[in-house]
Amino acid sequence: MFGYVVPYKDELKVREYKLFRAFYCGLCKTLGKSSNQLTRFGLNYDFTFLALLLTALDEDEPQINHEGCIVNPFKKNPLIKKNQHLEYAADLNVIFVFLKLLDNWHDEHSFKSLLSMPVYYFASRGKREKYATSFHFFEKSLKKLEDLETAGNDIVDKSADVFARIMSVIFTPAYITEKKCRRILASLGYNLGRWIYILDAFSDLEDDINYKNYNPLLLQYNYSEAEGLQEFKDRIKENIVFTLTYSLNNLAKAYQLLTVHRYNNILENIIYLGLYRVMEKKLNNGGREIEKSIQDTGTE
Amino acid sequence: MKNPYKTLGLSEGASKEEIRKAYKRLVKKYHPDKYANNPLSDLAEEKLEEINKAYNYLMKNKGYNQGQDNGYQSSSNRYSNNSYHTYAQIRELIKRGNIVQAEKILDSISQKDAEWFFLKGVISLQKGWYDQGYQQINRAVAMDPSNSEYRSTLNNLHQQNAAYRASGRNRGYGGADACDLCTCLCCSDCCCECLGGDLIACC
Repeated sequence: MFGYVVPYKDELKVREYKLFRAFYCGLCKTLGKSSNQLTRFGLNYDFTFLALLLTALDEDEPQINHEGCIVNPFKKNPLIKKNQHLEYAADLNVIFVFLKLLDNWHDEHSFKSLLSMPVYYFASRGKREKYATSFHFFEKSLKKLEDLETAGNDIVDKSADVFARIMSVIFTPAYITEKKCRRILASLGYNLGRWIYILDAFSDLEDDINYKNYNPLLLQYNYSEAEGLQEFKDRIKENIVFTLTYSLNNLAKAYQLLTVHRYNNILENIIYLGLYRVMEKKLNNGGREIEKSIQDTGTE
Repeated sequence: MKNPYKTLGLSEGASKEEIRKAYKRLVKKYHPDKYANNPLSDLAEEKLEEINKAYNYLMKNKGYNQGQDNGYQSSSNRYSNNSYHTYAQIRELIKRGNIVQAEKILDSISQKDAEWFFLKGVISLQKGWYDQGYQQINRAVAMDPSNSEYRSTLNNLHQQNAAYRASGRNRGYGGADACDLCTCLCCSDCCCECLGGDLIACC
């Protein structure tokens, strides 16, 4: 479900791209330091975006270090030094991966997720206490999603709403206290969550048909085998494109209201170009290749 | 008051022309039409006020007296001419941002006419249920095609999406942007006219 929030590399300046990498690496290091080294494999771009956005709102400039990495210990790369925002993004990343694995295990009894669970179980233990209110809210929300599935909910907005609220909470850390800013971030997170949920539902259509899994889109638009996947997709595409684009539009509207102190170009690149490209790709060929991979975006 | 130059995204000592340009761009960006049915519309309006203030301040202090005094005034009577008492009440609630109550009352109405679907659509959009909202407003338009409010709301939705896409295209460093397109069209029109035809009828 994650890894959709990436910049469109071709339209970034090299300097901006390096800065994005510095955030990615910084988040990775923070994950290793504040949880355990293995959680670093669960790192993803959506939380990099979160760290970048929160740092952009901070009046203080972040510090940049030059360090090597396990992958390439001799080459020193710039990375953002651990700060409040990176720590928050890293913590939430761990909590979220843990919940996602738990969810996978419940849903599909996937052994892969069971095997990696202990890593996240122990890593997230302290964090679950630190963010107790949010954690309970996430658990409750995931339960709600499960209930909607059992009840055969046929309104995609309804399921998307539950997921969107999770993202809305993730995007409003407690240390940001200014009311207006919280409202805007909540709306930004909500729209991003909606967009991720619905886009994911659309790109899972084929698998969900084959494995007879639940997918609210299939129910809402009355899919039948006689119609076939391609015709079904063509039939619902107009509505899906509208709702996804409108979500991005409102995400952008929320962003415009924020007081951003730096990184405006990268953030706008992600919001106006990166997300839109990911969406177009997913809608047109349902390609999976872009997940988690920044190298592929934009090289056609 | 915040530094007016900062509010307009300019550096200290910008020229009159630069100020005017920045002002126009920002008014366009935060215009209420662009935040129609958005739960953050009040914040956009606040921002617009700030921008107006900054602009007026700079214009006055620099001796540019001909500045617009009230660049934009909000239209507050969009929801006012309805005969149904309940619908009027619901519109009032929506205007005040009380979406939950508005939806509750609306859901208690059993007869669903075009107005019902329209209001339901507006509520859905503000709640963040865009898929439902889009379909409901489409339905209102289909049920009462002569209603200009329904149609303009639907058009506004499409325009917002188009504007989002356009700002993506205009970003970055390469490719044709909207201005190029206009220039292109104007040139084509001139060429056509030279040859006796006409591409854009009105000019």
